[in-house]
Amino acid sequence: MAKNGRFLVSLVGVAAVVTYLIWTGVSQTMQYYMTPSELVAKTIVDPSFHRVGVKVGGRIVSGSYLKGDGFHGFTVEDPEQLNVTVPVEYRGDLPDTFNDRPEMIVDAVMEGRFRTDGVFEATTVLTKCGSRYEASPEALKAG
Amino acid sequence: MSVVVGTVLLVVAVIFFVLQPMLSGRRASLHREMDEPTEAESRQRFALLALRDVEYDHATGKLDEVDYRVLRGELAAEALTALERVNSEAAARLSGAPSGLEDEIARLRSGLRSGTTCAACGSGNDEGSSFCAYCGAPLRAAAGGPSSHGSPSGTA
Amino acid sequence: MNVLGELALWIALPVALLGTVLGFVAGRHQRGDLQLGAERSVYAVFGLTILASAGIISNFLNDRFEYLYTASYSNRELDVFYKVAGLWSGQRGSLLFWLLFLMLFSSICVWTNRNKNREFMPYVVGILGAVASFFLTILLFADVNPYEKLGFTPANGQGLNPQLQSYWMTIHPPMLYMGFTSFTVPFAFAIAALVSGRLDSRWIEVTRRWILLSWFFLAIGIVLGMRWAYEELGWGGYWFWDPVENASLLPWLSATAFLHSIQIQESRGMLRVWNMFLVILTFTLTIFATFLTRSGLIESVHSFAQELKIAYIFLSFLFVIVASGAVLILWRLPELKSDNQIESFLSREAAFLFNNLMLLGVLFAVLWGTLFPLISEGLTGEKISVGPPFFNRVNIPIGLILLALTGVGPVIAWRRASKQNIKKSFTVPVGVGLAVAGGLFAIGVRHGYALATFGISSFVMAVIVIEFFKGTRARARIENENWAIAFAHLIARNRRRWGGYVVHAGVVVMFSGIAGSSFNVNIRQTLEPGESAVIPSPLGHEYKLTYEGMSTTSATASNSNNNFAFQLVALLRVENDGKQLPTLTTEKRGYIAQDQPTTEVGIRSSFLEDLYVILSDVADLRSAIMNEPDAQTATFTFMVNPLVGWIWYGGMTVALGGLIGLWPSVSGAPVRAPVLSSARTREPVPVGAAGD
Repeated sequence: MAKNGRFLVSLVGVAAVVTYLIWTGVSQTMQYYMTPSELVAKTIVDPSFHRVGVKVGGRIVSGSYLKGDGFHGFTVEDPEQLNVTVPVEYRGDLPDTFNDRPEMIVDAVMEGRFRTDGVFEATTVLTKCGSRYEASPEALKAG
Repeated sequence: MSVVVGTVLLVVAVIFFVLQPMLSGRRASLHREMDEPTEAESRQRFALLALRDVEYDHATGKLDEVDYRVLRGELAAEALTALERVNSEAAARLSGAPSGLEDEIARLRSGLRSGTTCAACGSGNDEGSSFCAYCGAPLRAAAGGPSSHGSPSGTA
Repeated sequence: MNVLGELALWIALPVALLGTVLGFVAGRHQRGDLQLGAERSVYAVFGLTILASAGIISNFLNDRFEYLYTASYSNRELDVFYKVAGLWSGQRGSLLFWLLFLMLFSSICVWTNRNKNREFMPYVVGILGAVASFFLTILLFADVNPYEKLGFTPANGQGLNPQLQSYWMTIHPPMLYMGFTSFTVPFAFAIAALVSGRLDSRWIEVTRRWILLSWFFLAIGIVLGMRWAYEELGWGGYWFWDPVENASLLPWLSATAFLHSIQIQESRGMLRVWNMFLVILTFTLTIFATFLTRSGLIESVHSFAQELKIAYIFLSFLFVIVASGAVLILWRLPELKSDNQIESFLSREAAFLFNNLMLLGVLFAVLWGTLFPLISEGLTGEKISVGPPFFNRVNIPIGLILLALTGVGPVIAWRRASKQNIKKSFTVPVGVGLAVAGGLFAIGVRHGYALATFGISSFVMAVIVIEFFKGTRARARIENENWAIAFAHLIARNRRRWGGYVVHAGVVVMFSGIAGSSFNVNIRQTLEPGESAVIPSPLGHEYKLTYEGMSTTSATASNSNNNFAFQLVALLRVENDGKQLPTLTTEKRGYIAQDQPTTEVGIRSSFLEDLYVILSDVADLRSAIMNEPDAQTATFTFMVNPLVGWIWYGGMTVALGGLIGLWPSVSGAPVRAPVLSSARTREPVPVGAAGD
């Protein structure tokens, strides 16, 4: 029985360590994941959101891409609330699946900071995996 | 029109394929076959495998002499207990059978001669069957030809 | 063909349901006749699924764009190769493809067990039929039917996303799907054991090779996915802790735990409940992975409602699996008691147990991190996500402990090991590990985790090498064989153990390769033709890359069959410390019907590092395509990725170890336990008995 007790203690110990790692890991690395409209609404209420890193997922506005001096610029919108858009600036390499053609629906997930001038400065840009794209019937008609 | 015909043919073919063995009165075995290990036999086998591991651990210096002796003794005892169970189960099976071993052999022999016992799997079949109800192989007396044909209706 | 294909799916669903019912009734009432019908329905569903898949492929080959699925993933110009792969390039097709593999493995299982394990088979067939019914239900009723029609016929299809036009794509998903689907067989046997009440280790013995097979496919699929990301998607990265990647890792982790813990049940009769739990967990995770991969639930930015139907069906199925598994285990709990107890901390059982705990710890952390946005949204209404920093923070320490355990396990004996022996066995390997870590520190490596990884890796590698050496020596001595033959026999006689060590060696090499990424160099520079960039390697030498200019080819009417619209190739002359190396190229490509250009990277691999070049940006793409001499300014990203090749070498070694374990016994016949009298001789069990 003593042996089983020792095992139990060590099991609990391992579980505790894993839980601790997860707990501190979450609290030190978590980021708010928001849509563009949520981001704008949140920062109006609490301007401190301008200072922390956030993750934003939005749909790329068709035709919004422009190449700036050493950066890529484009605009994302909230598919459910089309009146809010957020301009994005990004200084890395865009994924090949990035597309702003009107008939393509491409979602971008970005990490970065929402500057006080209303531009989202992205440090990473991911577009959603290609195998999930499905053309809309309208697009097929157009093409 | 051809679509309708194709549809009907496909449906009928599938229904026939699935129901045919049931309607023909064949039965699949749902019991452990004689050549499969019983629980006791599995245990015996694992005890022997563990013994082999102990031998290996000893040979590569992972077990010292004392532990090696103790473990070997324990495992040999486990294997022996399992073996005794295997033997007593086998004895119970033999004595419990309605006909003795001799009768069984005689029955198989006559069955093979008359063509009701399957040459492929050894199961007995009703008089006049063309194919074995257990494995689907053609029965020699009825099929007449070479017995290398597969199961009568294919499998997939 | 396509009409029959769609029809086949509609026929398959009732047949699969019939098979399920027949199987369970046959088992419950011991009706051998019904069982034959149940087994036939598995074959029938397999045949019908082949028909349905062939219909989809023929839709692609014949450019039938009136079907939504074909129109979305193909166009007339697409290579035949990718048209065939169209079956699994999108969500709708890949669910059918999943079902195709499921039925292939189900049929193999039913066929190989037609004369054995009969007491399990009714329930096994019942479970296989139920899983098939589930996927057929999704295909037919969750708006993902690959035969859905558009109602009009577009002139041409959308074309396949260029990133999917890669041979990795044609092989990576099938590997993962084979891994996912083949695990259904062990699950079916486990449930059959619970229902039928034959609860000894027989079900594990029967499915051991299936479990290994599934694990093997998953491992290959995961490594291929990393390779694909490295070359095509990831700009030099190979793992992003993306939900889809995590989804494939989860069942692999629990399958790995399972492969270790079944050995304890076999040899010691312990952990019966735990193994049941693990097999149900792994199967649940394969379904969960399919769900995550195919629904985009986590990262999804658009309305959840779009996927609601498929999500509800998947979640109910997951609930049914978990609930029925739990109920069955509770019901059989008294019969699942352990035969033995763990005798000592210093035993292989204990090491395996800790390995299991650590693997489940990683699993839980990955699952938690993946689902965190959903959990936080459910609890607080706010979506909060955790990214790679979280996964690295939690998993690196646990991963290092796991790595160390792979070195501990082989050295200590079952049941109990004595302290002196452990000391004796560990002295050299620990010395090697410390020497490597110390040596690296001395030459200036200061990255803590990297040092730990290299040190522990060397320790484990030393253990494995010594283990092979000692085993061969012992066998050569006992059997009087020469060393080469002794080595071959050693592996052949216990393929599971030695194959396992080879897998461990591969994992060690992979860990070192991953640790190498701590020293990656990444430099971005804009160059005119003739200008050079100097890239220092972390290994001390220097690359000088000179941009020589761009060459263009654009598609004209003459090669209209070609899927490329244009190809813009940048040439870079490479010197390593002044020594000339072959020229590297990196390019932008345009595809017909996809006007966003894609990038092909240039990689120069060597044993110790990869030089990786991306054509990040062309200042004036339009003029460059027209081949105007003034429009050649380009921005490049140069990377040096040390040890990245080791990940692929390690992956191949893992696959090799898996193959050793999977290789069939020398003699095809099942090996019967010999009578005990022969156990007293030196070789208690004939060749091949334990290897499979």
